[in-house]
Amino acid sequence: MSLISLKDIYKIYNVGGEEVRALDGVNVTIKENEYLAIMGPSGSGKSTLMNMIGCLDTPTTGLYEFEGEMVNDMDDNQLASIRNRKIGFVFQTFNLLPKATAQHNVEIPLIYGNVRRDQRKSMAAAALESVGLGDRMHHKPNELSGGQRQRVAIARALVNNPSIILADEPTGNLDSKSGREIMEIFDALHEAGNTIILVTHEDYIAAHASRTIRLFDGKIKEDFSKVA
Amino acid sequence: MFSLFIENFRISISAVLANKMRSLLTALGVVIGILAVTLMGTLISGLDKSFEKSMEFLGKDVIYIRKYEWFGDKEWWEMRNRPNIKIKHADVIRERSQYAEYVAPISEWYTSVKRADDDINGVRITGTTDTYAMISTAEIEKGRFFSKTENRSGSHVAIIGKDIADNLFENENALGETFQIGNYTFRVIGELEKQGKFLGMFSLDKQIIIPIGTHRRLFTRRGWSGINVKVDGTQLDNATEELTALMRQLRHVRPTEDDNFALNRQDPFKEQYSMIKLAIGGTGFFITVLSLVVGGIGIANIMFVTVKERTREIGTRKALGATPKMILMQFLMESITICLFGGLFGLALAWGGSLIINQYFPSEMPINLALTALGLSMLVGVISGLAPSYKAAKLDPIDALRYE
Ligand SMILES: Nc1ncnc2c1ncn2[C@@H]1O[C@H](COP(=O)(O)OP(=O)(O)OP(=O)(O)O)[C@@H](O)[C@H]1O
Ligand SMILES: [Mg+2]
Repeated sequence: MSLISLKDIYKIYNVGGEEVRALDGVNVTIKENEYLAIMGPSGSGKSTLMNMIGCLDTPTTGLYEFEGEMVNDMDDNQLASIRNRKIGFVFQTFNLLPKATAQHNVEIPLIYGNVRRDQRKSMAAAALESVGLGDRMHHKPNELSGGQRQRVAIARALVNNPSIILADEPTGNLDSKSGREIMEIFDALHEAGNTIILVTHEDYIAAHASRTIRLFDGKIKEDFSKVA
Repeated sequence: MFSLFIENFRISISAVLANKMRSLLTALGVVIGILAVTLMGTLISGLDKSFEKSMEFLGKDVIYIRKYEWFGDKEWWEMRNRPNIKIKHADVIRERSQYAEYVAPISEWYTSVKRADDDINGVRITGTTDTYAMISTAEIEKGRFFSKTENRSGSHVAIIGKDIADNLFENENALGETFQIGNYTFRVIGELEKQGKFLGMFSLDKQIIIPIGTHRRLFTRRGWSGINVKVDGTQLDNATEELTALMRQLRHVRPTEDDNFALNRQDPFKEQYSMIKLAIGGTGFFITVLSLVVGGIGIANIMFVTVKERTREIGTRKALGATPKMILMQFLMESITICLFGGLFGLALAWGGSLIINQYFPSEMPINLALTALGLSMLVGVISGLAPSYKAAKLDPIDALRYE
């Protein structure tokens, strides 16, 4: 059974009377433990598609099934719950809370998931260990390098053991060395059985993935899987 | 849910502390509002206490026959030409009145007293009879009142108020000791308990009571006199009527003429006082409501700014699984925290203020009022935080994340 199934997804904005088709009839299915890269020129709809998959955005028309459940029918609370338990986000700009320590940042999804304090602390610590930041748990974001910040963000994304990790240009704000380190973490996560979708402009990043989708003007122009 | 509450509280505290000055300025309206309501409450509690004590001093069943009215619309210069109250009428009233239980003539004169190096100016010297002890509510703390015989014989004996005892006989037993009133030597036979100030204006303890005969011989003619009549408390109006008739007769007031004396009672004080209280309460209430409303608007405004500033944070939190209600609670909590912070600050100021008020009237900050005030500031927090928090809760996660 597929983890994610998008059918005839349209996302249409109306800007000053003009229609902008951010997604123009997209059909995709994604299976468990896939490693997918979404590519395409700027404005082609990559982020829109990503947000749709992450239940942050809703399609203008089209059907979205996540683990066999219709996302279209869900209310705000159900969407929040899916995002909390099933989806881990990694943003290009990290989006950490500046005043909170690394550990506290990683705890945030657990707080919203109503996990008990002691359990939360140990889960956050374990997630930070797994991205190699066991010794930086009590640092605040401004005391960390860009690469380290993104690793905190990854720890935060995976702490709830989600079904899928979504990363929108996760290396976009990093130098190539930090970018490589981040990609190593994604590779390891994929190796460990996680499903990963990332948006990138770089071919060498996309090369880590086993499947690549190319978008153009909101349409899927190419959907290519590496033969294992 | 508990950990979420803690988290929200943590966020609120750190947000308030991160912008201490802004939070304080924002909460200024609440600070002033809480300050106004608690200070007003303290003031009224103090006034109540002082008033009750003063009324106790006057006694609710005592009629004060005087030349001047305590209250009323008569001009003082009209009353100035009235003949003085005659001490000897006290005896007539005692004989003829049905309602009078005790009658004591009063003479008063202000002069200085001294003992060795200590002296006090402007001491109220009251001359009266032994009956005074039956009318006055002030208890003798040490010693005794003078006797009928001492009164008749014009002895130089004195019952002294607390201020006199404290100043002339510091750390000494005053009983049996002598001191000067004006140029005359008196012996202390009694000490009154502490009575405090009358309506916060003048001390009731800066007083000396001596036999009226002695008083008239040594001091009066220049001082004023009056008659205090204690009656049955339930017959106050009848007694007033009877005494008015009696006094008119004694002072030969013609039927067409107005009274040329006054029968003063405690009750007009009460009316006057409740009006003053209403005025203070009304003013305090007005200031409180006004500053809370203005403060509330300020807080709503700053909360809208906060929500705007933290749009990306809200988007991130939503992406991580915060429901609209959780976001609502977070910002509501922040607004409540600002108000609570302001409320506590206001209470601290009010506490300081109540210490100052306490110098003038014995008073205390009413605990209930303080708690109500805190509750009120929280309510302001809820009300003014509602719209901004709702706005935050309803933000579209994508728009919030894209917000620059
Ligand atoms: N809120 C919006 N209102 C109007 N148009 C929008 C809105 N959000 C996105 N769009 C439009 O939708 C299209 C797709 O945007 P999207 O952000 O998905 O592009 P992208 O592929 O992620 O680009 P980039 O590589 O620059 O991040 C763009 O043309 C954009 O202008
Ligand atoms: Mg994008």
